[in-house]
Amino acid sequence: MTRNLTLGIYLPGKTALHCLDPRTKIAGASGLILLLILTNNYAAYASFAAFTIALILAAKIPLRFALKGLRPMLPFLAIMWVFQLLFQKPPGAAVIFSWGIINITDAGLHIGTLMSIRVLLLFLVTTILTLTTSTVELTDGAEALLRPLQKIGLPAQELALTMVITLRFVPTLAEEAEKIIKAQTARGVDFGRGNFIRRTFQLFPVLLPLFINAFKRADELITAMESRCYTGGAGRTKMKVLRMGRSDYLAWVVFAVFAAIQVVLMIKVGRPY
Amino acid sequence: MLKPLVEFRNVFFSYQSASAKPVEALRGISLQIGQGEFISIIGQNGSGKSTLARHFNGLLTPTSGEVLVAGLSTATSDRKQLLEIRKRVGMVFQNPDNQLISSIVEEDVAFGPENLGLPPREIRKRVNHALAALNMFKYRRELICHLSEGQKQLVAIAGALAMKPDCIVLDEPTAQLDPGSRKQVLESLKRLNREEGIAIVFITHLMSEAVNFDRVVVMDRGEIKMDGPPGEVFSQVELLEEAGLDIPVATRLAAELRERGYPVAPGTLHVEELVNSLCQLRSST
Repeated sequence: MTRNLTLGIYLPGKTALHCLDPRTKIAGASGLILLLILTNNYAAYASFAAFTIALILAAKIPLRFALKGLRPMLPFLAIMWVFQLLFQKPPGAAVIFSWGIINITDAGLHIGTLMSIRVLLLFLVTTILTLTTSTVELTDGAEALLRPLQKIGLPAQELALTMVITLRFVPTLAEEAEKIIKAQTARGVDFGRGNFIRRTFQLFPVLLPLFINAFKRADELITAMESRCYTGGAGRTKMKVLRMGRSDYLAWVVFAVFAAIQVVLMIKVGRPY
Repeated sequence: MLKPLVEFRNVFFSYQSASAKPVEALRGISLQIGQGEFISIIGQNGSGKSTLARHFNGLLTPTSGEVLVAGLSTATSDRKQLLEIRKRVGMVFQNPDNQLISSIVEEDVAFGPENLGLPPREIRKRVNHALAALNMFKYRRELICHLSEGQKQLVAIAGALAMKPDCIVLDEPTAQLDPGSRKQVLESLKRLNREEGIAIVFITHLMSEAVNFDRVVVMDRGEIKMDGPPGEVFSQVELLEEAGLDIPVATRLAAELRERGYPVAPGTLHVEELVNSLCQLRSST
């Protein structure tokens, strides 16, 4: 399953989308997600899908690669769709299929389908963001966007640093987990055998040393950070300063026009049930 | 003599614990380290050398006695004074994986200067300079996880260097490295010392590493047993053995030969050295 996972992978590139300020991209993606949540009809979703595909092409992401990432989602979506179909019965909805105790309404069909499309597009938008933005840019952007909230007590810098450290230690801990698994296998633990419960219990001898070591690492890391004059977020500066350029302003105009179109489509066409 | 950069004045330190009785790790340490010195502190496990290292920048403070960095006491509740001390004394630890903060080389080196609140251009300048000084400039955009252990340790040293310290203390920085990387780290430190004039305090349990330094301090059970140039320190084999250090075969042989009246160079550490002095002996007789 992880082979098909495209979310969270970064594809380095030099396209206009790659070069946008991360703040523009994060805010833009958030705006698009908000639009998606509000969207209520097929025409608006079609327009949204067209815009998403345009973004994918603009970022020179192979279309097939982006769509491949959707594959692991399909089983979940199918289950969700069936549930909506079976249980969505708003008052006044017309029953279109009836068999025993099962009653399917037209509203249920529409809600299930619209929701599936919404989730797929949501996933695509987030994938475009992570495919075109490195994790470092993402944290820098998020920190800059959250900084105004520091006034009301949100520790934006500390959150960003936590994120930086998390990303830094993912490969380190993954490597360590692999080592432990090999060591335990050599001592006769048979991983990946047996039923679900058994396989869960097999993880304990891996997780336990991993956790203990993680605490030890954290202890050493904080000593190293203190030695490097870390005293919390206040008074820190950044080597890299984010700057909005012309392409960012252009992106904002494009977004505004697109959002206007979507709002018009939502209001004029209305929901289909 | 130059004004000492770091001065230990009769420092005692014990680890307090609620259950057991306190463990005395340092017992009356007095030590002066001058500007631009190139020192190795050597001792076996439990000799107190790591505890000593943590006193250099106030990570630990003496139970009694005092540690002065450029005249400033490390036992202070004044944040500014502590920051000033940590700016002057950089610290590098054993495991590079547990001291690097960012996933990208240059971002990590920038961490210290960023904490000092320097302007972005100054940070960039320092980061580039520090990476260049350690021959790591071409890796500046590389992911930390793609580097070898030795390269990671060089990044950690660059991180300390970017603070523009007067002194860098390294607590067994080569313990987890392969021989090639060890040599690379040692050579880089020597270059920093010679070219940038930064005092280096290198903590190790290996005589083969300590011999590369201008001054060697031998620690045992919380006390300083010997302090002097490597040639002088390493010729006193009995004292070294008492301190629990592994004596290289060549050194032991040289010492025994000297005892029997053969003028072999004192403080011989490497087999080649011994062979050379033996050959000279033979050609002169």
